[in-house]
Amino acid sequence: MKFFNGRIAKRSILLFSCVLLFAASICFAKDYDQLFTEANDAMAQGDLPAAISILKKVEFEKGDDSGAFVRSRMQIARLQFALKDMNAASAAAKEVLAVYPDNSEALNFMASVQQEQKPRYKVFIEDCLRFLPQLLKGAVMTITLVVCIILISPVGGLLIALGRISTFKPVSGLCWFFIWLFRGTPLLLQLFFIYYGLPSLGITFKPFTAAILGLGLNYSAYLGEIIRGGIQSIEHGQMEAAKAIGMTYWQAMRRVIIPQTYKRLMPPIGNEFIALIKDTALVSTIAMVELMRSADQMFNAYFNVTALILAALIYLLFTTIFTFIFEKIEIRAGIYENR
Amino acid sequence: MKTANQPLLSLKGITKQFGSLTAVNGVDLDVCPGEIVVIIGPSGSGKSTLLRSINFLEEIEEGTILFEGQEIGYVTSKHGRRHLDAPHKICALRSEIGMVFQHFNLFPHMTVLGNVMEGPLTVQKKSPQEAREIAIDMLAKVGLSDKRDVYPATLSGGQKQRVAIARALAMRPKLMLFDEPTSALDPELIGEVFDTIRDLGKEGMTMIIVTHQMGFAKEMADRVIFMEKGSFVAQGTPEDFFANQMEHDRIKSFLNRIL
Ligand SMILES: Nc1ncnc2c1ncn2[C@@H]1O[C@H](COP(=O)(O)OP(=O)(O)OP(=O)(O)O)[C@@H](O)[C@H]1O
Ligand SMILES: [Mg+2]
Repeated sequence: MKFFNGRIAKRSILLFSCVLLFAASICFAKDYDQLFTEANDAMAQGDLPAAISILKKVEFEKGDDSGAFVRSRMQIARLQFALKDMNAASAAAKEVLAVYPDNSEALNFMASVQQEQKPRYKVFIEDCLRFLPQLLKGAVMTITLVVCIILISPVGGLLIALGRISTFKPVSGLCWFFIWLFRGTPLLLQLFFIYYGLPSLGITFKPFTAAILGLGLNYSAYLGEIIRGGIQSIEHGQMEAAKAIGMTYWQAMRRVIIPQTYKRLMPPIGNEFIALIKDTALVSTIAMVELMRSADQMFNAYFNVTALILAALIYLLFTTIFTFIFEKIEIRAGIYENR
Repeated sequence: MKTANQPLLSLKGITKQFGSLTAVNGVDLDVCPGEIVVIIGPSGSGKSTLLRSINFLEEIEEGTILFEGQEIGYVTSKHGRRHLDAPHKICALRSEIGMVFQHFNLFPHMTVLGNVMEGPLTVQKKSPQEAREIAIDMLAKVGLSDKRDVYPATLSGGQKQRVAIARALAMRPKLMLFDEPTSALDPELIGEVFDTIRDLGKEGMTMIIVTHQMGFAKEMADRVIFMEKGSFVAQGTPEDFFANQMEHDRIKSFLNRIL
C-alpha cells in the first residue's frame, strides 16, 4: 500500500507538474492575447499612450517564437511614430534589432524614422529625384499626344467645318452627325469604346493608336464647330470681293476667308488645347502610360503624395507654356489689325 | 461677225426675283465699248442687284447676258432648267469684269500690294514677280505707290476705295462695275475716287456706275439711266436727261431729295 501510495504520489506529482506547466503556458499565451486585445481597445478609443504602456508588458523570452515580442515592439514603434516621438519609436525598433538584427520590418522602420527626422524640404527633394525620371517619361508621352492632336485636330476640324457649311446636303448632314456624336458623349466613353469596345467587332488598336484616334476625333469635332463659327464670322463682302476678281470658292476660302479667321480662332482654340493637355490624362484608362498614369503608379507604390504634387506642377508648367505660346501666336496672327 | 459698234455688254430682259419680290424686272441694256453708263434711282430699286447679276453674284431667273456678242453664264440642262454655268467658266467671266463695292471689301490680312497682286497671282496664275509688277503699275495709276506695304486698316476711306479699284484693274478687265463707290466716304474724300474713275474713263474703260453723285453723272456719263422698282424708267445723255427728264415727277422728286 505504501509502495502503491508512493508510486501514486510520484506519478501525481509528475502529472501535476505537467498540468501546471501546460496551464502556465496556456496562461502566458492567453495573457499576451489579452494584452493585445486591451491595446487594440485603447487604440480604438484613441488613447495611444495607454496602448503603448499595455504593449510594454509583453516581454522577451528566449526561444519565444510566437512573435508576440516583435509584434508588440513594432506596434509601439508605430504608435510612437504616430505620436511624433521619434526617439521612443526608434528605441522600440532597436529593441527588436537587438535580438533579431536582420528583422526587415524593423530595419525599414528605422529608415523611415531617419527619413522623418530629416528636414522636410530635403525629404521633398529626395522624393522628387526619386519620382522625376518616371514622371518625366510620362510627361514626354503626354506632350507627344498633345502635339499629335494639335497637328491633327485643326485639319480634321477644318474639314468638318467646310463640310458643315457645304451646300451639298449629304456632306453637311454627315458632318453635323459627326459633331453631334462626338460632342454629345463623354470623351472617356469614346476612348473606352475605341480601345475596349471595337475589339469585339474585330477591330483592335494599340493603346497609342486608340488614344490618338479618340482624342483626334473628339477634338476635331470641337474645333470643327469653332472653325465653322470663325469662317461664318468673316464678313460676306470678303467672299464676294474674292469672287469678283475671279476666284473660285476654294481659292477664296484658302486665300481670303480662312487666313482671316486665324486671329479670331486663336483664343478659343488655345482654350481647347489647354483642355486637351488635361484631357490626355483620360487615356491613362486605356493602358497608356502618360503623366497621370506615371503619377498614379508612383503614388500607389510609395503612397507618397509628392508624386501627385509633382505631376500637378508638370501639368501647370505645360499649360502655362501653352498659354504663353498661344498669346504670342494670337498677336502675330492679328498683326494686320494694328494701325 | 464683230462690228465696230457692237455692244460690249448686252442685257436682254434681265429678271431677278427674291421670293415674291422682283428686284430687277426685264431690264434691257446695251453698253458700247468705252461707254460710261451711270445708273441712278431710289434705294431698293434694284441697281445693286442688276450690277451683281452682270457679275453672276446673283443668279437671274430670266433674260440673257451677251458679252462681246457671246451669250454667257447660263446653260440649259436636258430637263430644260436653266442654271449657272460651271464654276470655272463663271470665274473666267468674272475676271473679265471688274467690280468695285460700296464698302471696298479689301482683304484686311494682305498688304495693299498683296491685295492688288492677288488676282493676277491666284486667278491668272502669274509668277509673283509678274503679279508684283502689275500691282505696282496699278497702284501708280491710282496714285498710291507710297502705300504699297501697309495694311488696309491704316488707309483712309478714299485710299481704300482706290486700292479696291487698282485690285479690280489688275485683272485687266474689259468692263468695270461700280456700285456706289463713294457712298461710304466722307464728302472730302469723294473727289479723289472720282478723279481715279475719271482717269479710267479717259483711257477708254467701259464702265457702269451706280451713284448718287449727280455732279459726277453730269460731267462723266455718256448716258444716265433712272431705275425704279426694278425697271429703267428713263434714260438719255446727261444734257438731255437733266434738262428734259426732269419733267418726270418721280425723277424730279428723287433728284430734289438727293441734291
Ligand atoms: N439677297 C437678297 N435677298 C432678298 N432680297 C434682296 C436681296 N438683295 C436685295 N434684295 C431686295 O431687292 C431689292 C433691290 O435691292 P438692291 O440692293 O438691288 O437695291 P439698290 O437699288 O441697290 O438700293 P440701294 O440704293 O439702297 O443700294 C430690295 O427690295 C432689296 O430688299
Ligand atoms: Mg445698292
